[in-house]
Amino acid sequence: MDLLQKWRNAIGMTAWGVLAAGLYLSLVWAPADYYQGEVARIMNLHVPLAKVSLLAYFVAFVASLLYIWKRGALADNLAHASVATGIVFTLAAILTGAIWGKPTWNVWWTWDARLVSFAVLLLLMAGYLMLRSFVEERERAARYAAVLAIIGFIDLPIIHLSVTWWRTLHQPASFSAKGLSIAPDMLAAILVMTVGMVLLYVYLTLLYCRKLALAAQLAAKSEQRLREARL
Amino acid sequence: MNFFSVIGLIVWKDGLSELRSRENISSMFFFALLTIFIFNFSLPLDQRVAQTLAPGLIWIAFSFTGVIGLGRSFLAERDNDCLEALLNAPVPKGALYLGKLLGNFLFMLTAEVLLFPLFILFFNLEVNANPGLLLLVFILGTLGLAALGTLFSAMMVQVRAREVMFPILMLPLAVPVLIAAVQATAGILQGSPWAQYGSWISLLAVFDLIFIVIAFWTFEFILEG
Repeated sequence: MDLLQKWRNAIGMTAWGVLAAGLYLSLVWAPADYYQGEVARIMNLHVPLAKVSLLAYFVAFVASLLYIWKRGALADNLAHASVATGIVFTLAAILTGAIWGKPTWNVWWTWDARLVSFAVLLLLMAGYLMLRSFVEERERAARYAAVLAIIGFIDLPIIHLSVTWWRTLHQPASFSAKGLSIAPDMLAAILVMTVGMVLLYVYLTLLYCRKLALAAQLAAKSEQRLREARL
Repeated sequence: MNFFSVIGLIVWKDGLSELRSRENISSMFFFALLTIFIFNFSLPLDQRVAQTLAPGLIWIAFSFTGVIGLGRSFLAERDNDCLEALLNAPVPKGALYLGKLLGNFLFMLTAEVLLFPLFILFFNLEVNANPGLLLLVFILGTLGLAALGTLFSAMMVQVRAREVMFPILMLPLAVPVLIAAVQATAGILQGSPWAQYGSWISLLAVFDLIFIVIAFWTFEFILEG
């Protein structure tokens, strides 16, 4: 973790560079989609955002398990930072999805399995952050938040399945095990964007972790000062 | 003390205090009744529309009932340091959870069974459904809501703004239970053949099992310290 923190700014710079390259590839270099036209280009933003949202929640889940098991402040900070970063990616994924959905499906929103799952993911992440701010004690907040993250992680696939059985009209995923249903040029652009987004996520999460560690240090120090002043 | 006798004792204690105060069931009942009235004022409910909307409205009323009743379940334990005593008692935490869950489930179910006839009455529903099956769906759906609600209710004792936080945390996670319960209720009320909604009932049972197992496991991490 320390090593990663040392390289944090380098990771951030690389992320912006890769994202700039990815945008060039997506907007200029790759051809427009045969069926969907220019609109499909927003997918190069939407898909990486969505993947990173899930990655962020997965990291938070693993860090929460780690916290429940070992009770290290680092695991808790990582879970917290991952959700705080992830919620931005999730919101952006939903917004770009809606912008793509309007010209393609002729609706901004529909109650399809993936959309509902992402809406619940957003609510979960917001609930997670609210819960943390509404519990006074640090250790207790960490424990409650970890439990919420774990339950949410188990619940998300169940929600996805139950909505799928209820109704579904989403286009099938393009990266499926049966082979890629995407042109190589577009695939290259979308992969570069994904790498850039992951790097950006790592950078922001590291930054937030550092902020949380500093805030904890500050709280400990001011508590110590108060105690000294009382003596 | 035996695991099951702990569960039994907690249910008995909660049941006794409910019998004496009648706080929980009556507040749930009147709150849900109020939502029924609001549905009547806010939705154009002629008989045909009411018939199609009924399953959804029933479960909205029931889940609000749950939010009211479940949210306060552990708050009552805080008075007279009852919670401290429960935590210090040399009994498995899981048994505490199952005991509270069972109590909450029974209170909610009682309120629902009292409400359902009023639903039929106020919405002029034509019901030729199998009452046994309907009760089964109520039982399974309520169990799922109570499983999540009891867990978060234990958390809410230590949380500020708990009236807001409880539904925000609980309801999104309860989406699978609500979908399955509404679909099964709709199928039964319409008198459809079992093949059309039977799978929702089995799914509901599976969801209940999953939620109870997760909550049973994570409950001790909420109560420690």
